[in-house]
Amino acid sequence: MSGAVQTALASPAGPARRAVRDPLIASLVGLCLAAAAVLVVASPAPYLVNALGQLAAFAILAVSLDLVWGYLGILSLGHGLFFAIGGYVCAMHLLADGVAATGVLPDFVQFMGWKSLPAYWAGLDHSAYAFVLALALAGLVAFVFGLASFRSRVNGVYFSIISQALVYVAMLLMYRNDTGLGGNNGMTGFPLLFGWPMGSPGAITGLAVAALLMLAAVLAGTRLLIGSAVGRRMLACRDDETRLRTLGYSTTRLKLGIWCLSAMIAALAGILYVPQVGIINPRVLAPDLSIEIAVWVAIGGLGRLGGAVIGAILVNGLKFWLSAAMPEAWPFILSGLVLLVVLVLPNGLLDLVALRPRPTWLRGAR
Amino acid sequence: MADPKRSLLRAVLALCWLGLWAVPSSAAAFDRAAFAQDLCGDGAAQVRGAEDLVKAGGVLPADDLAYAGRLLGALAERRLTCPADGALLLDRPGAPEGHDALTSAVRPVADARAPVLGLRQRAAVETARGVVALLTGPDPATRGAGLSVVERRVATVPAAVLDRARDAETDAGLKATIAGLAQAAALSSPDPARRRAAIAAVAASPSGAAEARLTALKSDPAYTADPAFRAALDAGLSRVTRAVTIGDGLAVLYNGLSFASILFMAAAGLAIIFGLMGVINLAQGEFIMLGAYATYGVQEAFRRLAPGLLDLYLVAAIPVAFLAVALVGIVVEALILRHLYRRPLMSLLATWAVSLFLVNLVRVTVGTQNLQFIMPAYVSGGVPLYADFVVTWNRLFAIGFAAATVVLTLLILRRTPLGLDIRAVTQNRDMAACLGLPTRRVDRLAFGLGSGLAGLAGVALCPIYSVNPGMGSGFIVDSFMVVVLGGVGSLLGTLVAALGIGGANVLIEPISGAVAAKVIVLVGIILFLQRRPEGLFAVRRRR
Repeated sequence: MSGAVQTALASPAGPARRAVRDPLIASLVGLCLAAAAVLVVASPAPYLVNALGQLAAFAILAVSLDLVWGYLGILSLGHGLFFAIGGYVCAMHLLADGVAATGVLPDFVQFMGWKSLPAYWAGLDHSAYAFVLALALAGLVAFVFGLASFRSRVNGVYFSIISQALVYVAMLLMYRNDTGLGGNNGMTGFPLLFGWPMGSPGAITGLAVAALLMLAAVLAGTRLLIGSAVGRRMLACRDDETRLRTLGYSTTRLKLGIWCLSAMIAALAGILYVPQVGIINPRVLAPDLSIEIAVWVAIGGLGRLGGAVIGAILVNGLKFWLSAAMPEAWPFILSGLVLLVVLVLPNGLLDLVALRPRPTWLRGAR
Repeated sequence: MADPKRSLLRAVLALCWLGLWAVPSSAAAFDRAAFAQDLCGDGAAQVRGAEDLVKAGGVLPADDLAYAGRLLGALAERRLTCPADGALLLDRPGAPEGHDALTSAVRPVADARAPVLGLRQRAAVETARGVVALLTGPDPATRGAGLSVVERRVATVPAAVLDRARDAETDAGLKATIAGLAQAAALSSPDPARRRAAIAAVAASPSGAAEARLTALKSDPAYTADPAFRAALDAGLSRVTRAVTIGDGLAVLYNGLSFASILFMAAAGLAIIFGLMGVINLAQGEFIMLGAYATYGVQEAFRRLAPGLLDLYLVAAIPVAFLAVALVGIVVEALILRHLYRRPLMSLLATWAVSLFLVNLVRVTVGTQNLQFIMPAYVSGGVPLYADFVVTWNRLFAIGFAAATVVLTLLILRRTPLGLDIRAVTQNRDMAACLGLPTRRVDRLAFGLGSGLAGLAGVALCPIYSVNPGMGSGFIVDSFMVVVLGGVGSLLGTLVAALGIGGANVLIEPISGAVAAKVIVLVGIILFLQRRPEGLFAVRRRR
């Protein structure tokens, strides 16, 4: 029926073998590992290391969106919410850890006139608890929202609009100062990272390496998932949900599961991102940022995990470079890039390299 | 806008009070020489002189007041000297000769004594000067300055002075201030009958301020001591409270209606485009912004070419904004969206790119600052209708505009060949194409119509919101919620949803804040979609 499904079905030797045979994913994973090794051995300039680490975090975020958009046909315009959940919990952990180590309360707590951190911050200075909490919280929010939406068959652009409204409302909520999460200034001034002073070359390299390794792991893991029976069901659901449901599969459960997984991967990206930039504020919840994630995926190549990574790294690399070199021109370049991709290269920049024949399913309605 | 009956009543009341005060005061006619004597006397005499003048201020003839004002001014500025007989006014402090206060004859100062004002005396003299300025000042500025002096020591000024000043006042703003001050003074007057009358007068024109003023009186000792006062206050307060509650309710409804109008204007074009083509136009907010900028362009053109007709620019901008933005929409459709009809999610990204482009284009070419609009008389100010409820013209303009848009759009959709085509393609594109309808042309015209409606929304927004390149992003989420709730492709559904969301926002906002209102409305919409995923009024599609 379609190129991708056929490729996925062609090899009978199990998902792991197929994943290794996917040249794009394999080379990207290899590249990540190699880059991580180079960072450890050669230790280049800290700002480069930091930029690389941020790009890796963005790539993870793009993969999380590609998982639901490219393989399940659900375009979320609210993935910034899950990214922000990871980021906020990570920031809370870093601050709580700092308070435990130094005894100095963060600025916003003093600003609100509180004597200590709010009660629901309890235990956040334990990193394992914070990590689990971030993923669980993102998963829970995704579950509730996804259950409400998928159960009533809210699909396509409807889902996109409502997810955008969700992230917008979350942004309004976080702009309030009485939430105990820093209000419009957000949270910053993290003193320590696992006992290392934040901003030291060691901490920067450590974070970048962690982000690269995580990206490799996420890429490999999602590729395994795509190659498995669940992955085939995802493609089937994207191409014709009614038929799959008629065949006796619970598409709601399938979509809900992948949706929650995607949200948790996005939260993971947030966890890795915040210590690298040293700040989180409600601007990550702006609807525009969530649309930009979709733009990365579309530019790189929708429905291919490698495309998402390439798109995220390309767009953000350009953004890092151009928003410093010519800030006025960047929005025009970005909009031009998007229009070029959607009009001329419907499968993203991967069309240019033509790494494999163009799948026919991308021409169909989605 | 005062009710003539009410002002007549006030005039009669004022005359009564004037009469009450006039009888005892006029018996003792103003003695100019004695007044000069008082001012030349010791501290107690000075205070007595000033206070007597203030007490008699309501009835003294204007020339007596002017005489007293000259003396008081000279005393305050140290230009008054006191020989044994009478008083001398100097042109400047320390001058060798001056005019006699009574006869104006020039006399040498000789060994005259110059009286000095103590702190307590100065306050009394200043008050007296304020009264004189308020009553005899030649221009509103002088009288206003006098009023502000009087206001500080209003307890010592009799009501007759304020009533006289109010009745004689020609400047409307100053007159209202004096009336308010007179009312406040009457409320705290020592005469119980007068207080009760004042309470009734305050209650007769209810407002939030009147409610606060009456509520403050509850802590007055007379409230517990005097049953008549208590009854009058309770009656007045309950009357005011009821009126204020009704007025506030009306204001909430009015604000909700105007917010809903804006929402509808922003969402109507979206609903048509979405219903017809399944395209989410994320640039709709920027089309609104373009409409507002087109309005600004029309204003500037009027300013250059026809300054006399400047007030009409808002009306002239209506067709201009519609056509200009419709043209932009048609260009966007022809260049970009035409290629993406089979890929709605990609068209979403494409329109986002268009919106990014438009915002930055305007930012670079026009600038990021808020545009300055001249507000014609028909969209500025308002009419106080009941209690605190004021019908503001700019919001009424938006409401009327939205109502006209509803009617016109419905007429286009129901009564014109284009509307028939649009409805046919919305219901079943393939069948319409088979029957020979040029569906692509219908798409383009409908996209132009939807964009033009956004341009109209821009015109309606100019008198209410600040206009800058980023203004569009604030509408996009809300207006999409309206479209989703209303049901795709149904203009009536859009209208009902806009009214519902606008009303809900305005109703919840005062209870739990603007952010909570948005959260509650969003959760409400998600829950509602559980029951009816297609929205309120789903268009039946034939496939």
